[in-house]
Amino acid sequence: MSNTLNVNDHLYEFHSPAGTTLAETLRDELALTGTKVACAEGHCGACTVLVDGSPTLACITLAHSVGDAKVTTIEGLREHPMVESFVRSDALQCGFCTPGQIVSAVALVEAKAVPTRDEIRHAMAGNLCRCGAYPKIEEAIRTWQD
Amino acid sequence: MELRQASSATELDGATPVHGGTEVVPLLRAGLLSADTLIDIRPIVPRGISRERIGAGATLAELECDPQVPAALREACRLAASPQLRNMGSLAGNLLQATRCWYWRLNWPCRLHGGDECFAQEGEHREHAIVANDFCASGHPSDVAATLVALDAVLHTSTRTLPVAELYRLPTEDNRATTTLEPGELILEVEVPPCDASVYLKAMDRKRWAFPLVGVAAARSGDSTRIALAGVAPVPWLLDGELDDATPLPGNAYKVELAQALVRRAKTALASA
Repeated sequence: MSNTLNVNDHLYEFHSPAGTTLAETLRDELALTGTKVACAEGHCGACTVLVDGSPTLACITLAHSVGDAKVTTIEGLREHPMVESFVRSDALQCGFCTPGQIVSAVALVEAKAVPTRDEIRHAMAGNLCRCGAYPKIEEAIRTWQD
Repeated sequence: MELRQASSATELDGATPVHGGTEVVPLLRAGLLSADTLIDIRPIVPRGISRERIGAGATLAELECDPQVPAALREACRLAASPQLRNMGSLAGNLLQATRCWYWRLNWPCRLHGGDECFAQEGEHREHAIVANDFCASGHPSDVAATLVALDAVLHTSTRTLPVAELYRLPTEDNRATTTLEPGELILEVEVPPCDASVYLKAMDRKRWAFPLVGVAAARSGDSTRIALAGVAPVPWLLDGELDDATPLPGNAYKVELAQALVRRAKTALASA
């Protein structure tokens, strides 16, 4: 299986043993610590990254199974207007879930630039926020092009 | 641990197959599954959707929005899990998911783990089974499985063809398995016969990203209607009658009324479809 990863258009070699998750490899070996791990069992969405554009849970993805697919982490979305929109809307309190929220939100608006309220709620259902910033997260996604 | 890619269905001996990983990886991490060798079966499991034949490797996200897929199956996929899990998880993987019973997940020595007690029967069982619950009271978590049973779908595996209902078995003293899949056998395709109308209704604790308290799938072909339920028995439950013979536990009798109400609503929806 592959021991290279294409992350944010940069090719990395990695040496983690088989069974290591993508989240562990990103954080511990590639030092891309923007991706957060909260539940570590695929429930909460904090670890969301894009794999070939699809929101994916890095905490339950095996690093060696990613192969040639393109991984995009929050570090690769630095310049995306969604980041500024989250700041403008004050769409966070503690901020721990925010990288995953932004990654899911970017995938949504890349598929549909102006999603409806229902589409936002459907697409963001896998990103939990224990601070309860949901109304502001929804606002950030509604107004990201402002 | 070793991870390799499969190139044919004959090389699975002794290896644990993994597709999307949404079930296998958490079970490995929780110590509920152990494997020396994982085999990535994505290269050998078909994924496309062509009218009545659905590749077992299609993701729930792909099924959710494909107009070739019957309405009930699209809805079951749309209401299952979270967007990320639907992007990752395959159709066959969803059919093979393990119970959400917390006693099982916490590795209590319950009957499914080979022990001699079902802890849910005396313990916390609000979400558990209301029929066929005398040996193991777990409720089957798959919206998709119940829907495929209602649709009378057929599975093509690497060794045989069988109705999806026969993939499942109630665990017994002698055999604690809840599926009939043999070691090394892979589900390759799911054949969904056409129907005139179908619907999936789901009661859950929150509106999104929750397992079914009760899920009701119904499909009508001509004068015949098949109804199957998720979350009410240790396996997807093909309904025969009105659930009058249900055997709820003290803490989940509410589910009988819930299921009966959803069945009525499903029938009404089919009648007007």
